[in-house]
Amino acid sequence: MSAPTTLPTAFPAPPAAPRRRHVPIRRLTWMLARPGTQSPATLVLPAVAFGVTSALIITVIGGTSMFWRIPGQDGGIYRVLSVLALALLLVPLLGLGAAAARLSARRRDDRLASLRLLGATGADVIRITVLESTVVALVGAVGGALLSLAISPLVGLIPFLGGPIGAAELWIGIWPMLGVIAAVTALATVSSVVGLRRVVISPLGVRTRQRKAFPHWARPLIALAVIAMLGTALQGIGALQSELGLVLAIGGAFAVGLAVLGLLGPWLIAVWARLQVRRARTVPRLLAARAVLDDSGAVWRQVGGVAMTSFVAVVAGSGIGLLLAIDTSQSDDLGTLPGDIFTGIVVTLIASFLMVAVSVGVNQAAAVLDRRDITVSLDRLGMPREMIEAARARQAIAPVLLVAVTAAIIGGVLVLPLAGMTLLLSPSTLLVVFGSIALGIGLVWLAVRATTPVQRAVLAHPERA
Amino acid sequence: MNSSTSVPARTVLTAANLVKVYGGKTRALAGVDLALQSGESVAIMGASGSGKTTLLHALAGIIVPDGGRVSFAGPVGPVEVSALNERDRARLRRESFGFVFQQGLLVPELTALENVALPMMLAGYPRPESEAHARRWLDALGLPGLGDRRIGELSGGQAQRVAIARAQVTGASIIFADEPTGALDSQTSADVMDALLHSTVGQGHTLVVVTHDREVAARCDRTIHLRDGRVHTASGEPVPAAAAPGFEFVGEGWDRSAETNR
Ligand SMILES: Nc1ncnc2c1ncn2[C@@H]1O[C@H](COP(=O)(O)OP(=O)(O)OP(=O)(O)O)[C@@H](O)[C@H]1O
Ligand SMILES: [Mg+2]
Repeated sequence: MSAPTTLPTAFPAPPAAPRRRHVPIRRLTWMLARPGTQSPATLVLPAVAFGVTSALIITVIGGTSMFWRIPGQDGGIYRVLSVLALALLLVPLLGLGAAAARLSARRRDDRLASLRLLGATGADVIRITVLESTVVALVGAVGGALLSLAISPLVGLIPFLGGPIGAAELWIGIWPMLGVIAAVTALATVSSVVGLRRVVISPLGVRTRQRKAFPHWARPLIALAVIAMLGTALQGIGALQSELGLVLAIGGAFAVGLAVLGLLGPWLIAVWARLQVRRARTVPRLLAARAVLDDSGAVWRQVGGVAMTSFVAVVAGSGIGLLLAIDTSQSDDLGTLPGDIFTGIVVTLIASFLMVAVSVGVNQAAAVLDRRDITVSLDRLGMPREMIEAARARQAIAPVLLVAVTAAIIGGVLVLPLAGMTLLLSPSTLLVVFGSIALGIGLVWLAVRATTPVQRAVLAHPERA
Repeated sequence: MNSSTSVPARTVLTAANLVKVYGGKTRALAGVDLALQSGESVAIMGASGSGKTTLLHALAGIIVPDGGRVSFAGPVGPVEVSALNERDRARLRRESFGFVFQQGLLVPELTALENVALPMMLAGYPRPESEAHARRWLDALGLPGLGDRRIGELSGGQAQRVAIARAQVTGASIIFADEPTGALDSQTSADVMDALLHSTVGQGHTLVVVTHDREVAARCDRTIHLRDGRVHTASGEPVPAAAAPGFEFVGEGWDRSAETNR
């Protein structure tokens, strides 16, 4: 296309439209991501989150696959148990991965929305963010793989089969490791595309926040019905003889258990938060309770990972504790199995808390950045900074405490006679279980503390909000 | 009648030769002198980037100026705002100042009532008392029955009234507002200014409003024009409190309990 030459023009004609509009996506991405253009936290945080996620995935795979190499009679039971542990860790691991992905996709929403307002096309915005999230996740995942190698000597100290397992047993092989890196990166790519849909549809849409509905009252009823059905189904479990049948039955019960928890969890958290809102006497308590009540589903996704592990730890811990107590008094032919099961329970429990702690940290860091203007406004009103911080910590830790303690209590009540006997005969096992839960909550507290510098940075420049 | 008529005007806040430099080169404030009287309303106008927000923040003790000083005539004696540490400035803001921002900046998870009650709870009042008082303020500002709504469920004008209630609920003697009507249409803007003026100067308190809107500025006793971080022109004289606008701004449906419930 060219401008007509016959027109007597006093003004220079606009240059002919380019055939294909060229947007320097790669240069633009780098320009936007360059250090200094914005808080480095927006890039570092997702990278760290993806890194820790990858390191934990690799370590968990290494730890469980080890049991598949055990030969002989014992091998079968160890395999079943390792699958159970993996299943228990799947929920917190997915929660962590989702938190990392959401963080990386969300961090850019605001700025990309303005990019869109400046006239970048939807496709440009998608390309820039996807490229950026992918690169950040790839860097993080590679770092995480290295991290998993670095911590493997430490993890290798955990004793199984009568001695420390050793770092070598945790090596999963180069291809599986590359596979994890690829999977984590792909997760980031996909979630950044999904997360961006909203920005692309409406440049201002990101900012509109709507109130979430209170979880439906029918949830606990449905959960009860499912539990009753499961109880009847489990009556028939004795009929299953084969190892495969047993695994399927346990796996099925597990899946149902998780579904029940998914129904009950958000509802329980919402009911508790509503009670706290009514009871709150101080500003931090009120703010924390309101924030939890505001989105109990999201809170559950964040902390639900410790519900099942805490429950299993108390139930199985009581049984194993008793077994161990009897085992030492009689000569045994069970070998290291009971002790190993107990170790496995504790390791799984702590690992689940670790994952929840990391995702709490990631979510808190994102929340601090997201809520910067609200935080600054509270500071301007003269709310003491310790109080702002206390509200934030309470909001993150209280749900973990609630979920872990409730699950542990339910577990304890279910096996009350067993737990009582264990308490008498082998108090140390229950002490270890509860100590681990306390340690786990301490990890979450540390994760919140770790985000304090981000909060401080926000408050250091209140005029920028 | 309005209590402010019986109280003689006094200087509540003075700023002398305020200087604020950002990043070593941007002189946001280049020597500003200012005195605020009790019961007066002052508009700060000026082009974008002229230093209005910076001046407001320096006066309110949100930022510390690089030069000059801000003195506040507090209830127990004069306080040099610019010499206080962060903790004491926070306390001063909490106890003596009120703030209204452009977008309200209310806490989205809290109800309107809880937002208004928040400063009172921070001041140490028990929650039931804080909420009862907050409810009276919401009623007084024409928002009866909206206390249980979330911020997202309010219109822009309603949210701004909630912010005004929050700024005033502890009886702050100076209210700082940064473009409080910036996001509102002209009718809503006029209503919000009614509410703001009545609840502040109407009670003998001082109002400082940063605004781009001439109509808003015209409602104030005087206007200060900033240019490049300096006071360019100041129209109107500091008005003695006795002549401060009292009830001539009474709008439709205004609830006078705002003046009596303190
Ligand atoms: N945190 C900061 N860092 C660096 N420069 C700043 C900062 N805050 C403000 N400035 C600069 O100081 C000057 C005054 O800014 P200020 O926000 O006070 O202007 P304003 O009059 O409120 O403008 P507007 O009407 O656009 O709100 C501007 O040049 C601005 O770019
Ligand atoms: Mg401004």
